[in-house]
Amino acid sequence: MRVMERTFREQLFFLVLCLSVLKGDSRYIENNEISKDELFSFFNSELKREIPEELMYRRPLRCLDMVAVEGQFTFTAERPQLSCAAFFMAEPNEVISVEYDNVDIDCKAGDFITVFDGWVMKGEKFPSSQDHLLPLYERYVDYCDSGSVRRSVRSSQNVAMVFFRIHNAGSSFTLTFRKHINPFPCNVISQSPEGSYTMVIPQQHRNCSFSIIYPVEIDVSEFTLGHFNNFPKRSMPACAESGDFVQLLGGNGIDTSKLLPITDLCISFTGPTHMKIGCDNTVVRMVSSGRFVSRVSFSYRLLDSQELQTIKLNNVEDFCFNN
Amino acid sequence: MKLNVLMWLAALLAVFLPHPADCRPDDAPASRRPLLPRPLLLHLGEEFSLRLGGGVGSSSAAPALLSSSTTSSSSSSSSAVNRALLQLTQRLLQARAEQQEEEEGEEEEKGKRSDEPPISLDLTFHLLREVLEMARAEQIAQQADSNRRMMDAFGK
Repeated sequence: MRVMERTFREQLFFLVLCLSVLKGDSRYIENNEISKDELFSFFNSELKREIPEELMYRRPLRCLDMVAVEGQFTFTAERPQLSCAAFFMAEPNEVISVEYDNVDIDCKAGDFITVFDGWVMKGEKFPSSQDHLLPLYERYVDYCDSGSVRRSVRSSQNVAMVFFRIHNAGSSFTLTFRKHINPFPCNVISQSPEGSYTMVIPQQHRNCSFSIIYPVEIDVSEFTLGHFNNFPKRSMPACAESGDFVQLLGGNGIDTSKLLPITDLCISFTGPTHMKIGCDNTVVRMVSSGRFVSRVSFSYRLLDSQELQTIKLNNVEDFCFNN
Repeated sequence: MKLNVLMWLAALLAVFLPHPADCRPDDAPASRRPLLPRPLLLHLGEEFSLRLGGGVGSSSAAPALLSSSTTSSSSSSSSAVNRALLQLTQRLLQARAEQQEEEEGEEEEKGKRSDEPPISLDLTFHLLREVLEMARAEQIAQQADSNRRMMDAFGK
Protein backbone atom coordinates (compact mmCIF):
# COMPACT_ATOMS: atom_id res chain seq x y z
CA MET A 1 0.00 0.00 0.00
CA ARG A 2 2.77 2.41 0.92
CA VAL A 3 4.80 1.51 -2.17
CA MET A 4 1.79 2.11 -4.34
CA GLU A 5 1.17 5.44 -2.66
CA ARG A 6 4.78 6.53 -3.20
CA THR A 7 4.66 5.61 -6.89
CA PHE A 8 1.40 7.45 -7.23
CA ARG A 9 2.86 10.48 -5.47
CA GLU A 10 5.82 10.53 -7.85
CA GLN A 11 3.51 10.36 -10.83
CA LEU A 12 1.37 13.12 -9.43
CA PHE A 13 4.34 15.35 -8.75
CA PHE A 14 5.56 14.79 -12.27
CA LEU A 15 2.17 15.70 -13.65
CA VAL A 16 1.96 18.81 -11.51
CA LEU A 17 5.43 19.78 -12.66
CA CYS A 18 4.39 19.50 -16.30
CA LEU A 19 1.28 21.53 -15.68
CA SER A 20 3.17 24.27 -13.93
CA VAL A 21 5.61 24.52 -16.80
CA LEU A 22 2.80 24.93 -19.28
CA LYS A 23 0.60 27.18 -17.23
CA GLY A 24 3.16 29.22 -15.35
CA ASP A 25 5.41 32.00 -16.60
CA SER A 26 5.67 30.75 -20.18
CA ARG A 27 4.49 33.03 -22.97
CA TYR A 28 2.17 32.04 -25.74
CA ILE A 29 3.78 31.50 -29.13
CA GLU A 30 2.67 34.64 -30.86
CA ASN A 31 1.37 34.36 -34.35
CA ASN A 32 2.49 37.62 -35.86
CA GLU A 33 1.41 38.41 -39.36
CA ILE A 34 4.84 38.59 -40.89
CA SER A 35 5.16 34.84 -41.36
CA LYS A 36 2.27 32.60 -42.12
CA ASP A 37 2.09 29.31 -40.25
CA GLU A 38 1.11 27.00 -43.04
CA LEU A 39 1.62 23.30 -42.82
CA PHE A 40 4.08 22.91 -45.68
CA SER A 41 5.32 26.46 -45.84
CA PHE A 42 8.92 25.44 -45.39
CA PHE A 43 8.77 23.53 -48.67
CA ASN A 44 7.92 26.65 -50.61
CA SER A 45 9.92 29.73 -49.85
CA GLU A 46 7.70 31.80 -52.14
CA LEU A 47 4.83 31.59 -49.67
CA LYS A 48 6.78 33.36 -46.99
CA ARG A 49 7.48 36.23 -49.33
CA GLU A 50 3.80 37.03 -49.79
CA ILE A 51 3.25 40.49 -48.41
CA PRO A 52 -0.16 40.98 -46.81
CA GLU A 53 -2.37 43.42 -48.66
CA GLU A 54 -2.35 46.08 -45.98
CA LEU A 55 1.44 46.08 -45.77
CA MET A 56 2.11 46.36 -49.50
CA TYR A 57 3.74 49.59 -50.60
CA ARG A 58 1.68 51.53 -53.10
CA ARG A 59 2.23 54.71 -55.00
CA PRO A 60 1.40 56.18 -58.41
CA LEU A 61 3.74 55.43 -61.28
CA ARG A 62 5.16 58.38 -63.18
CA CYS A 63 5.75 58.64 -66.90
CA LEU A 64 9.51 58.56 -66.30
CA ASP A 65 10.25 56.59 -63.18
CA MET A 66 12.68 54.30 -61.48
CA VAL A 67 11.45 51.76 -58.97
CA ALA A 68 13.67 49.97 -56.48
CA VAL A 69 11.16 48.96 -53.82
CA GLU A 70 8.62 46.14 -53.91
CA GLY A 71 5.01 47.13 -54.19
CA GLN A 72 2.16 48.10 -56.47
CA PHE A 73 2.51 51.02 -58.84
CA THR A 74 -0.49 52.42 -60.64
CA PHE A 75 -0.29 54.63 -63.68
CA THR A 76 -3.36 56.71 -64.48
CA ALA A 77 -3.24 58.80 -67.61
CA GLU A 78 -4.54 62.30 -67.04
CA ARG A 79 -3.85 63.09 -70.69
CA PRO A 80 -2.47 61.02 -73.57
CA GLN A 81 1.03 59.84 -72.71
CA LEU A 82 2.72 58.47 -75.76
CA SER A 83 6.22 57.74 -74.58
CA CYS A 84 6.77 56.61 -71.05
CA ALA A 85 9.22 54.26 -69.43
CA ALA A 86 9.85 53.00 -65.93
CA PHE A 87 13.09 51.36 -64.85
CA PHE A 88 13.10 48.58 -62.30
CA MET A 89 16.09 47.78 -60.18
CA ALA A 90 16.85 45.22 -57.50
CA GLU A 91 19.84 44.13 -55.45
CA PRO A 92 22.62 42.35 -57.37
CA ASN A 93 21.55 38.93 -56.11
CA GLU A 94 17.87 39.36 -56.97
CA VAL A 95 15.70 39.09 -60.05
CA ILE A 96 12.55 41.01 -60.74
CA SER A 97 9.01 39.85 -61.45
CA VAL A 98 6.40 42.22 -62.85
CA GLU A 99 2.69 41.37 -62.74
CA TYR A 100 -0.11 43.16 -64.52
CA ASP A 101 -3.19 43.99 -62.45
CA ASN A 102 -6.30 45.97 -63.34
CA VAL A 103 -5.14 46.82 -66.83
CA ASP A 104 -7.54 49.20 -68.55
CA ILE A 105 -5.96 50.18 -71.86
CA ASP A 106 -7.10 50.16 -75.46
CA CYS A 107 -4.77 47.88 -77.37
CA LYS A 108 -6.57 48.49 -80.66
CA ALA A 109 -6.02 52.24 -80.36
CA GLY A 110 -2.29 51.67 -80.14
CA ASP A 111 -1.81 51.52 -76.39
CA PHE A 112 0.84 49.14 -75.20
CA ILE A 113 2.64 48.04 -72.07
CA THR A 114 5.88 46.25 -72.86
CA VAL A 115 8.21 44.77 -70.29
CA PHE A 116 11.83 44.43 -71.37
CA ASP A 117 14.24 41.97 -69.77
CA GLY A 118 17.08 44.40 -69.14
CA TRP A 119 17.60 48.11 -69.74
CA VAL A 120 17.53 49.93 -73.06
CA MET A 121 19.06 53.36 -73.45
CA LYS A 122 19.77 55.18 -76.69
CA GLY A 123 19.29 52.01 -78.64
CA GLU A 124 21.78 50.06 -76.54
CA LYS A 125 20.67 47.28 -74.27
CA PHE A 126 22.00 45.71 -71.12
CA PRO A 127 22.76 42.81 -71.00
CA SER A 128 24.05 42.76 -74.54
CA SER A 129 22.77 40.18 -76.99
CA GLN A 130 25.98 38.20 -76.53
CA ASP A 131 25.54 37.95 -72.76
CA HIS A 132 21.82 37.24 -72.60
CA LEU A 133 20.38 33.77 -72.97
CA LEU A 134 17.17 34.84 -74.73
CA PRO A 135 16.96 36.22 -78.27
CA LEU A 136 16.00 39.87 -78.52
CA TYR A 137 12.36 39.44 -79.53
CA GLU A 138 11.75 37.22 -76.50
CA ARG A 139 13.04 39.89 -74.15
CA TYR A 140 10.17 42.22 -75.09
CA VAL A 141 6.87 41.01 -73.61
CA ASP A 142 3.89 43.03 -74.79
CA TYR A 143 0.71 42.95 -72.74
CA CYS A 144 -1.45 43.36 -75.83
CA ASP A 145 0.12 40.29 -77.42
CA SER A 146 0.25 37.96 -74.48
CA GLY A 147 -1.30 39.65 -71.46
CA SER A 148 -4.24 37.33 -71.22
CA VAL A 149 -1.97 34.32 -71.22
CA ARG A 150 1.05 35.58 -69.34
CA ARG A 151 0.27 37.85 -66.44
CA SER A 152 3.71 37.78 -64.84
CA VAL A 153 7.11 38.45 -66.39
CA ARG A 154 10.37 37.56 -64.69
CA SER A 155 13.71 39.10 -65.54
CA SER A 156 17.00 37.26 -65.85
CA GLN A 157 19.02 39.82 -63.92
CA ASN A 158 18.55 42.57 -61.39
CA VAL A 159 17.26 45.14 -63.88
CA ALA A 160 14.16 45.35 -66.05
CA MET A 161 12.06 48.09 -67.53
CA VAL A 162 8.60 48.75 -68.88
CA PHE A 163 7.61 50.96 -71.81
CA PHE A 164 4.03 52.13 -72.07
CA ARG A 165 1.85 54.33 -74.21
CA ILE A 166 -1.68 55.46 -73.34
CA HIS A 167 -3.81 57.36 -75.84
CA ASN A 168 -6.96 57.92 -73.80
CA ALA A 169 -7.14 59.97 -70.64
CA GLY A 170 -8.49 57.92 -67.78
CA SER A 171 -6.89 54.64 -68.81
CA SER A 172 -4.83 53.05 -66.13
CA PHE A 173 -2.93 49.95 -65.16
CA THR A 174 -1.20 48.58 -62.10
CA LEU A 175 2.11 46.78 -61.97
CA THR A 176 3.16 44.64 -59.01
CA PHE A 177 6.90 44.63 -58.63
CA ARG A 178 8.55 41.86 -56.64
CA LYS A 179 12.08 40.71 -56.09
CA HIS A 180 13.27 37.12 -55.87
CA ILE A 181 16.60 35.73 -54.79
CA ASN A 182 18.98 34.67 -57.55
CA PRO A 183 21.67 32.36 -56.18
CA PHE A 184 24.12 32.82 -59.08
CA PRO A 185 23.66 36.28 -60.53
CA CYS A 186 25.38 36.81 -63.84
CA ASN A 187 24.66 40.25 -65.28
CA VAL A 188 24.33 43.02 -62.73
CA ILE A 189 24.01 46.79 -62.75
CA SER A 190 25.26 48.27 -59.51
CA GLN A 191 22.82 50.40 -57.56
CA SER A 192 25.48 52.54 -55.95
CA PRO A 193 28.79 54.07 -57.01
CA GLU A 194 30.65 52.43 -54.14
CA GLY A 195 30.77 48.91 -52.88
CA SER A 196 32.30 45.51 -53.35
CA TYR A 197 31.19 42.40 -55.11
CA THR A 198 32.20 38.82 -55.81
CA MET A 199 31.09 37.27 -59.08
CA VAL A 200 30.99 33.50 -59.42
CA ILE A 201 30.41 31.51 -62.59
CA PRO A 202 29.90 27.89 -61.55
CA GLN A 203 31.27 25.90 -64.47
CA GLN A 204 29.10 27.51 -67.09
CA HIS A 205 30.18 28.51 -70.53
CA ARG A 206 28.92 32.07 -70.40
CA ASN A 207 30.14 35.61 -69.93
CA CYS A 208 28.90 37.77 -67.09
CA SER A 209 29.16 41.53 -66.62
CA PHE A 210 29.01 43.78 -63.62
CA SER A 211 28.19 47.30 -64.75
CA ILE A 212 28.79 50.44 -62.69
CA ILE A 213 27.24 53.50 -64.30
CA TYR A 214 29.71 55.87 -62.67
CA PRO A 215 33.38 56.75 -63.11
CA VAL A 216 35.09 54.68 -60.45
CA GLU A 217 38.36 53.35 -59.20
CA ILE A 218 38.30 49.57 -59.30
CA ASP A 219 40.37 47.37 -57.06
CA VAL A 220 40.35 43.72 -58.12
CA SER A 221 41.48 41.76 -55.11
CA GLU A 222 41.08 38.19 -56.26
CA PHE A 223 40.56 36.18 -59.40
CA THR A 224 40.63 32.41 -59.11
CA LEU A 225 39.71 29.47 -61.24
CA GLY A 226 38.82 26.42 -59.23
CA HIS A 227 37.54 22.96 -59.89
CA PHE A 228 34.57 21.56 -58.07
CA ASN A 229 36.98 19.95 -55.66
CA ASN A 230 38.69 23.29 -55.25
CA PHE A 231 42.11 22.29 -56.64
CA PRO A 232 43.51 25.15 -58.74
CA LYS A 233 44.85 24.35 -62.13
CA ARG A 234 48.63 24.22 -62.23
CA SER A 235 49.65 25.28 -65.68
CA MET A 236 47.71 28.14 -67.16
CA PRO A 237 48.11 29.45 -70.68
CA ALA A 238 48.25 33.16 -71.35
CA CYS A 239 45.20 35.39 -71.21
CA ALA A 240 43.76 35.36 -74.68
CA GLU A 241 44.12 31.65 -75.30
CA SER A 242 42.88 30.46 -71.95
CA GLY A 243 39.21 31.25 -72.42
CA ASP A 244 38.90 32.23 -68.78
CA PHE A 245 39.79 35.80 -67.93
CA VAL A 246 38.44 39.04 -66.58
CA GLN A 247 38.06 42.19 -68.66
CA LEU A 248 37.74 45.77 -67.53
CA LEU A 249 35.67 47.76 -70.00
CA GLY A 250 34.72 51.41 -70.19
CA GLY A 251 32.61 53.64 -72.35
CA ASN A 252 29.58 55.86 -72.68
CA GLY A 253 26.85 53.32 -73.33
CA ILE A 254 25.30 50.45 -71.45
CA ASP A 255 25.90 47.81 -74.11
CA THR A 256 28.94 45.91 -72.90
CA SER A 257 29.73 44.62 -76.38
CA LYS A 258 30.23 48.20 -77.57
CA LEU A 259 32.57 49.25 -74.78
CA LEU A 260 36.29 49.48 -75.21
CA PRO A 261 38.46 47.04 -73.28
CA ILE A 262 40.81 48.77 -70.90
CA THR A 263 42.69 45.75 -69.64
CA ASP A 264 42.49 41.99 -69.31
CA LEU A 265 43.27 40.15 -66.11
CA CYS A 266 44.58 36.64 -66.25
CA ILE A 267 44.99 34.00 -63.59
CA SER A 268 48.70 34.63 -63.42
CA PHE A 269 48.46 38.14 -62.01
CA THR A 270 49.57 38.54 -58.43
CA GLY A 271 48.35 41.03 -55.93
CA PRO A 272 45.56 43.58 -56.11
CA THR A 273 44.98 45.66 -59.20
CA HIS A 274 43.91 49.28 -58.92
CA MET A 275 42.54 51.09 -61.89
CA LYS A 276 40.89 54.49 -62.25
CA ILE A 277 38.39 54.52 -65.08
CA GLY A 278 36.87 57.87 -65.90
CA CYS A 279 34.06 56.63 -68.11
CA ASP A 280 30.33 56.96 -67.67
CA ASN A 281 30.02 53.21 -67.54
CA THR A 282 32.63 50.90 -66.03
CA VAL A 283 32.18 47.18 -66.50
CA VAL A 284 33.92 44.16 -65.01
CA ARG A 285 33.28 41.29 -67.37
CA MET A 286 34.24 37.70 -66.70
CA VAL A 287 34.67 35.31 -69.58
CA SER A 288 34.28 31.68 -68.61
CA SER A 289 34.85 28.56 -70.67
CA GLY A 290 32.86 26.35 -68.34
CA ARG A 291 35.73 24.20 -67.21
CA PHE A 292 36.22 25.94 -63.86
CA VAL A 293 34.37 27.61 -61.09
CA SER A 294 35.49 31.17 -61.83
CA ARG A 295 35.44 33.76 -59.12
CA VAL A 296 36.47 37.41 -59.10
CA SER A 297 36.27 39.80 -56.15
CA PHE A 298 36.56 43.53 -56.50
CA SER A 299 35.66 46.77 -54.83
CA TYR A 300 35.00 50.18 -56.31
CA ARG A 301 34.56 53.77 -55.25
CA LEU A 302 33.40 56.91 -56.99
CA LEU A 303 36.03 59.21 -58.46
CA ASP A 304 35.72 62.79 -57.32
CA SER A 305 35.91 65.74 -59.70
CA GLN A 306 39.60 66.36 -58.95
CA GLU A 307 40.57 62.83 -59.95
CA LEU A 308 38.38 63.00 -63.01
CA GLN A 309 40.09 66.19 -64.07
CA THR A 310 43.50 64.58 -63.63
CA ILE A 311 42.47 61.60 -65.72
CA LYS A 312 41.17 63.88 -68.44
CA LEU A 313 44.44 65.73 -68.64
CA ASN A 314 46.63 62.65 -68.57
CA ASN A 315 44.60 60.53 -70.92
CA VAL A 316 45.98 60.12 -74.41
CA GLU A 317 42.98 58.18 -75.64
CA ASP A 318 40.00 60.21 -74.58
CA PHE A 319 37.40 57.74 -75.73
CA CYS A 320 35.34 58.44 -72.64
CA PHE A 321 35.32 62.20 -73.07
CA ASN A 322 34.20 62.69 -76.60
CA ASN A 323 30.88 64.36 -75.75
CA MET B 1 -8.25 4.06 -4.12
CA LYS B 2 -11.12 6.42 -4.63
CA LEU B 3 -8.92 9.25 -3.47
CA ASN B 4 -6.33 8.34 -6.09
CA VAL B 5 -8.91 8.23 -8.83
CA LEU B 6 -10.32 11.56 -7.73
CA MET B 7 -6.90 13.20 -7.69
CA TRP B 8 -6.06 11.87 -11.17
CA LEU B 9 -9.37 13.14 -12.44
CA ALA B 10 -8.71 16.56 -10.94
CA ALA B 11 -5.26 16.64 -12.51
CA LEU B 12 -6.62 15.70 -15.95
CA LEU B 13 -9.33 18.34 -15.71
CA ALA B 14 -6.73 20.93 -14.87
CA VAL B 15 -4.79 19.97 -18.00
CA PHE B 16 -7.71 20.22 -20.36
CA LEU B 17 -9.32 23.36 -18.99
CA PRO B 18 -8.82 26.38 -21.28
CA HIS B 19 -6.06 28.73 -20.15
CA PRO B 20 -6.87 32.37 -19.59
CA ALA B 21 -5.55 34.69 -22.30
CA ASP B 22 -3.48 37.04 -20.28
CA CYS B 23 -0.58 37.46 -22.66
CA ARG B 24 -2.28 37.82 -26.01
CA PRO B 25 -0.95 40.62 -28.17
CA ASP B 26 -3.20 43.28 -29.60
CA ASP B 27 -4.55 41.76 -32.80
CA ALA B 28 -5.82 44.80 -34.58
CA PRO B 29 -3.11 46.14 -36.83
CA ALA B 30 -2.88 49.90 -36.95
CA SER B 31 -3.96 51.31 -40.26
CA ARG B 32 -1.04 52.66 -42.16
CA ARG B 33 -1.10 55.83 -44.08
CA PRO B 34 0.44 55.27 -47.52
CA LEU B 35 3.66 57.18 -48.05
CA LEU B 36 3.23 60.35 -50.05
CA PRO B 37 4.76 60.23 -53.51
CA ARG B 38 7.95 62.17 -53.95
CA PRO B 39 7.41 65.35 -55.97
CA LEU B 40 8.88 65.19 -59.43
CA LEU B 41 11.95 67.36 -59.74
CA LEU B 42 11.22 70.03 -62.33
CA HIS B 43 14.83 70.50 -63.34
CA LEU B 44 14.93 66.86 -64.33
CA GLY B 45 12.41 67.51 -67.09
CA GLU B 46 14.15 70.67 -68.19
CA GLU B 47 17.50 69.02 -68.50
CA PHE B 48 15.88 66.08 -70.26
CA SER B 49 14.53 68.43 -72.92
CA LEU B 50 17.86 70.21 -73.10
CA ARG B 51 19.65 67.01 -73.97
CA LEU B 52 17.06 65.94 -76.50
CA GLY B 53 16.80 68.85 -78.87
CA GLY B 54 18.48 72.03 -77.90
CA GLY B 55 15.46 73.61 -79.58
CA VAL B 56 14.26 74.93 -76.28
CA GLY B 57 15.13 78.60 -76.33
CA SER B 58 14.37 79.62 -72.81
CA SER B 59 16.24 76.87 -71.09
CA SER B 60 19.36 76.84 -73.23
CA ALA B 61 21.35 79.04 -70.90
CA ALA B 62 23.47 77.60 -68.16
CA PRO B 63 22.48 74.04 -67.37
CA ALA B 64 24.26 74.52 -64.06
CA LEU B 65 21.75 77.20 -63.20
CA LEU B 66 18.92 74.89 -64.12
CA SER B 67 20.18 72.08 -61.98
CA SER B 68 20.58 74.26 -58.93
CA SER B 69 17.27 76.04 -59.10
CA THR B 70 14.11 74.19 -58.33
CA THR B 71 11.69 77.05 -58.41
CA SER B 72 11.23 77.49 -62.15
CA SER B 73 7.82 78.44 -63.34
CA SER B 74 5.69 75.43 -63.99
CA SER B 75 4.38 76.66 -67.33
CA SER B 76 7.76 77.02 -69.03
CA SER B 77 9.01 73.73 -67.65
CA SER B 78 5.87 71.86 -68.66
CA SER B 79 6.08 73.24 -72.20
CA ALA B 80 9.75 72.28 -72.33
CA VAL B 81 8.88 68.81 -71.11
CA ASN B 82 6.07 68.62 -73.66
CA ARG B 83 8.43 69.53 -76.48
CA ALA B 84 10.90 66.96 -75.28
CA LEU B 85 8.25 64.31 -75.07
CA LEU B 86 7.03 65.29 -78.53
CA GLN B 87 10.47 64.68 -79.98
CA LEU B 88 10.75 61.41 -78.14
CA THR B 89 7.28 60.47 -79.36
CA GLN B 90 8.30 61.08 -82.95
CA ARG B 91 11.28 58.81 -82.58
CA LEU B 92 9.24 56.14 -80.84
CA LEU B 93 6.48 56.38 -83.44
CA GLN B 94 9.00 55.94 -86.17
CA ALA B 95 10.51 52.99 -84.41
CA ARG B 96 7.08 51.56 -83.73
CA ALA B 97 6.04 51.99 -87.38
CA GLU B 98 9.18 50.19 -88.45
CA GLN B 99 8.45 47.45 -85.98
CA GLN B 100 4.88 47.06 -87.22
CA GLU B 101 6.03 46.87 -90.81
CA GLU B 102 8.49 44.26 -89.78
CA GLU B 103 5.88 42.32 -87.86
CA GLU B 104 3.41 42.32 -90.75
CA GLY B 105 6.02 41.33 -93.27
CA GLU B 106 7.94 38.72 -91.37
CA GLU B 107 5.50 37.15 -88.98
CA GLU B 108 6.67 33.65 -89.77
CA GLU B 109 10.37 34.44 -89.58
CA LYS B 110 10.66 35.59 -86.01
CA GLY B 111 14.09 34.13 -85.61
CA LYS B 112 15.57 36.23 -88.39
CA ARG B 113 14.42 39.58 -87.07
CA SER B 114 16.98 42.36 -87.17
CA ASP B 115 18.98 43.05 -84.09
CA GLU B 116 17.78 46.63 -83.56
CA PRO B 117 15.58 47.00 -80.49
CA PRO B 118 12.10 48.18 -81.47
CA ILE B 119 11.63 50.42 -78.46
CA SER B 120 14.26 52.51 -76.77
CA LEU B 121 14.61 55.51 -74.52
CA ASP B 122 16.86 58.49 -75.04
CA LEU B 123 18.26 59.21 -71.63
CA THR B 124 21.63 60.49 -70.54
CA PHE B 125 23.66 58.84 -67.83
CA HIS B 126 23.35 61.95 -65.72
CA LEU B 127 19.55 61.74 -65.72
CA LEU B 128 19.67 58.02 -65.13
CA ARG B 129 21.86 58.53 -62.07
CA GLU B 130 19.52 61.20 -60.72
CA VAL B 131 16.49 58.98 -61.09
CA LEU B 132 18.45 56.11 -59.57
CA GLU B 133 19.33 58.18 -56.51
CA MET B 134 15.68 59.12 -56.07
CA ALA B 135 14.73 55.46 -56.22
CA ARG B 136 17.43 54.57 -53.70
CA ALA B 137 16.23 57.24 -51.30
CA GLU B 138 12.71 55.89 -51.61
CA GLN B 139 13.95 52.37 -50.96
CA ILE B 140 15.84 53.41 -47.86
CA ALA B 141 12.83 55.30 -46.52
CA GLN B 142 10.57 52.33 -47.18
CA GLN B 143 13.03 49.96 -45.50
CA ALA B 144 13.13 52.21 -42.44
CA ASP B 145 9.34 52.27 -42.31
CA SER B 146 9.15 48.51 -42.68
CA ASN B 147 11.72 48.03 -39.94
CA ARG B 148 9.76 50.31 -37.64
CA ARG B 149 6.57 48.36 -38.27
CA MET B 150 8.29 45.06 -37.61
CA MET B 151 9.82 46.34 -34.38
CA ASP B 152 6.40 47.52 -33.29
CA ALA B 153 4.90 44.11 -34.02
CA PHE B 154 7.64 42.20 -32.23
CA GLY B 155 7.61 44.41 -29.20
CA LYS B 156 4.00 43.70 -28.36
